Amino acid sequence: MKTDELIQLLAQGAGPAPRAVAARRLAPGALLGLLVSAALAAAWLGWVPVALYEHLGPWFKLAYAGALALAAAWLAARLGRPVARTAGPLAAVAVVLALALLLGLGSWWSLPAAERAAALLGHSAAQCPWNVLALSLPPLAAALWALRGLAPTRPVAAGAAAGLFAGALGAFGYALACTELALPFVAAWYTLGMALSTALGALLGPRTLRW
Amino acid sequence: MTTASLPNPASGWLRPLAGPGAAASAQNAARAVPSPAPPARMSPAHDAFERQLAPLWQRAQAGDEAAYREALRLIAARLRGYLRRRMQSLPDELEDLVQETLLALHLQRGTHDPAVPVSAWVLAVARHKLVDLWRRRGRQEALHDPLDDVDEAALAGHEPEAGSARDLGVLLAVLPAAQRAAIVLTKLEGLSVAEASARTGASESAIKVQVHRGLKRLAALVGPGRSPGGDAA
Repeated sequence: MKTDELIQLLAQGAGPAPRAVAARRLAPGALLGLLVSAALAAAWLGWVPVALYEHLGPWFKLAYAGALALAAAWLAARLGRPVARTAGPLAAVAVVLALALLLGLGSWWSLPAAERAAALLGHSAAQCPWNVLALSLPPLAAALWALRGLAPTRPVAAGAAAGLFAGALGAFGYALACTELALPFVAAWYTLGMALSTALGALLGPRTLRW
Repeated sequence: MTTASLPNPASGWLRPLAGPGAAASAQNAARAVPSPAPPARMSPAHDAFERQLAPLWQRAQAGDEAAYREALRLIAARLRGYLRRRMQSLPDELEDLVQETLLALHLQRGTHDPAVPVSAWVLAVARHKLVDLWRRRGRQEALHDPLDDVDEAALAGHEPEAGSARDLGVLLAVLPAAQRAAIVLTKLEGLSVAEASARTGASESAIKVQVHRGLKRLAALVGPGRSPGGDAA
């Protein structure tokens, strides 16, 4: 086949370039992944009792996970393009992380010394990161599938962004079922769970993001 | 990577207003969204490529097919030069990789960020396809003969023709019937999507999907060292 023949073929009836490819690719999978995570959390652990929403804790979890999911989605969408401009989304991720860690630390410092250990460890510190990681698996599969349909040229970074995005969605799902209320607990163990998911994404990126 | 997002008026990108690229530069400067400078490491030849390509590409992305055809020709020539230097041990497969890259660029044209120089985007995709080729080769080389003993001198005078050994008809024959029909009608016979829809009875969106899937399948077939499936080759 002559290359010019191929060019004729490609240009014929090509129309305008598709728009918002990253959003159209990421959004449906992310939504589905989030729903699966939330459903799994509910079926496995049950919803948080409504009365607990009078406390700050559940809202902090949802706000933290939600904000990080948005920032990470922006990052993943950028890394789905060749020559990705990542400065903006990386700054957004850093701001969300820093705010959450500062709030956790501030809350920890404000507590009497005797209560600090309980606020940090709660009753489920050993399970929390693993639960977040487990619930991030459905959105991680969806995010990697979405990125694979784009054109990531930095598979480790793109995989890590997909992992962070999925971790935040998994944390959001887990927050609907987790009864811990202390901010230091959330800042430490939710963050660790999302870091595990990010690492898993970075590991899977080079293997799955082939195009 | 982030340097691409910083406007750098000091680089050679908008400066040579009196040079041969003056018309293109003026066109660029007149755009509503000013293009940032390409990264500083790009050569003057690359700057010229960007100046020539950028206005065409902008029209192509908006749906101008003639501009798109012209842009793809420019890109093909640039890719040939870029890849030839990096594939000296595989000159026969150069055009295959050029074609595979062109298909990838077409399928992924929605991922070009207008804030990034189009030439940088093109070469990032080409580099990705080249790395992919070497990875596939590396795996095959482990099983077959190494390429070390290829006579470089014999290759030096080899001018690759602007075509691959693969035949479009053979490639199309490998596609599922619906994808083949959609591509033949809209891409080879030049029917509009609406006409192709009327001819086949499939909906317009189904035609578009089949064309996209068929081109994706073709992209998976045209690459160097890939077999177009079964006994079709």
